[in-house]
Amino acid sequence: MKCRVCRAPAVLDIRRHNAAFCRDHFLKHCAEQVRRSIKDHDMISAGERVVVAVSGGKDSLALWDMLIGLGYDADGLYLGLGIGEYSDASGHTARVFAHERGLKLHEVDLAGEFGYDIPGAAAATHRAPCGACGLSKRHLFNAVAIEHGYDVVATGHNLDDEAAVLLGNVLRWETGYLGRQHPVLPEAPGFARKVKPLYRLGERETAAYCVLRGLDYQVEECPMAEGNRHLGYKDVLNALEDRSAGAKAAFVFGFVDRAHERFTDDAGAEREGLGACVVCRSPTTGDVCAFCRLRERVASRSGPSR
Amino acid sequence: MKVVLRNPRREVEMPGPLTVSALLERLDVNPESVLVIQGDTLVTRDARLSDTDVIEIRPVTSGGAT
Repeated sequence: MKCRVCRAPAVLDIRRHNAAFCRDHFLKHCAEQVRRSIKDHDMISAGERVVVAVSGGKDSLALWDMLIGLGYDADGLYLGLGIGEYSDASGHTARVFAHERGLKLHEVDLAGEFGYDIPGAAAATHRAPCGACGLSKRHLFNAVAIEHGYDVVATGHNLDDEAAVLLGNVLRWETGYLGRQHPVLPEAPGFARKVKPLYRLGERETAAYCVLRGLDYQVEECPMAEGNRHLGYKDVLNALEDRSAGAKAAFVFGFVDRAHERFTDDAGAEREGLGACVVCRSPTTGDVCAFCRLRERVASRSGPSR
Repeated sequence: MKVVLRNPRREVEMPGPLTVSALLERLDVNPESVLVIQGDTLVTRDARLSDTDVIEIRPVTSGGAT
């Protein structure tokens, strides 16, 4: 295959674009998709400070690299989840990336600062670990952004992530979640703006970006995610994509452009009447936020026995 | 050729020559879910792989919390 732009030998084909690219034009393609996402959805304005949620995986490192390349003032935030060797390796990868480029990386260690880790939370709650993980990430990314005065939290959610979440939300008609599923979740009292600049790039593209840019990322999958529902949705969607190139993009982009606004009232209603958590002061619908309830629950299960 | 797969990491031998598409089909791997790396270079699905190549099939699907 030849590069669509310069006819040099291609390194990656993207079926949904009916195109292949050489290294340099593929990297330009990625940067252009991110630049377009930011512009189309007013994700980041001039002079705003961004904190990138960095896991050490392909998406977050590609995102951080691209934002810096596009000239944004972007620091990183790594959350230590306490998932054994996986967390040790991913933390190391994030630190090396930041150190080699002279970038600022905030670190929050769940066990050290909040007294629990993800395996412990899963055991205490008798629920899938991804639930506690997602809850912890959402809470702490926002809390750190507010504490340090960042305007924007950028996450590495890609097209495949968004398609899988959308499929799950549609299958259960989670109208509140559908109203909040968007490349931008605007800022609100107690909340920094959340943006997903990679939502136009598939995860094959973000992985290829890392390989072609020489970014060392954590290739191994999180051991706690194995067999989870999100991966099952991705399998289904990739089977669809294999039969019908462009299916995932049509699903997500069509939702964002033509269907999302039909659900925003449901999401807005959930944000009304928020108060401050009596423990941590974060916005919540009840007296104690979900993050602090999780901490209490884990602590009560792991406290000293009599 | 030697084919390296991940998650879990393992190696299989496949007779060449083969195209990338044919290799993935024989291994029952969806092309949407992987990158194919020949030596240290990404290759497209029409690339021909020889009997002496070392090929990595790297999964790209991550399933973390959102």
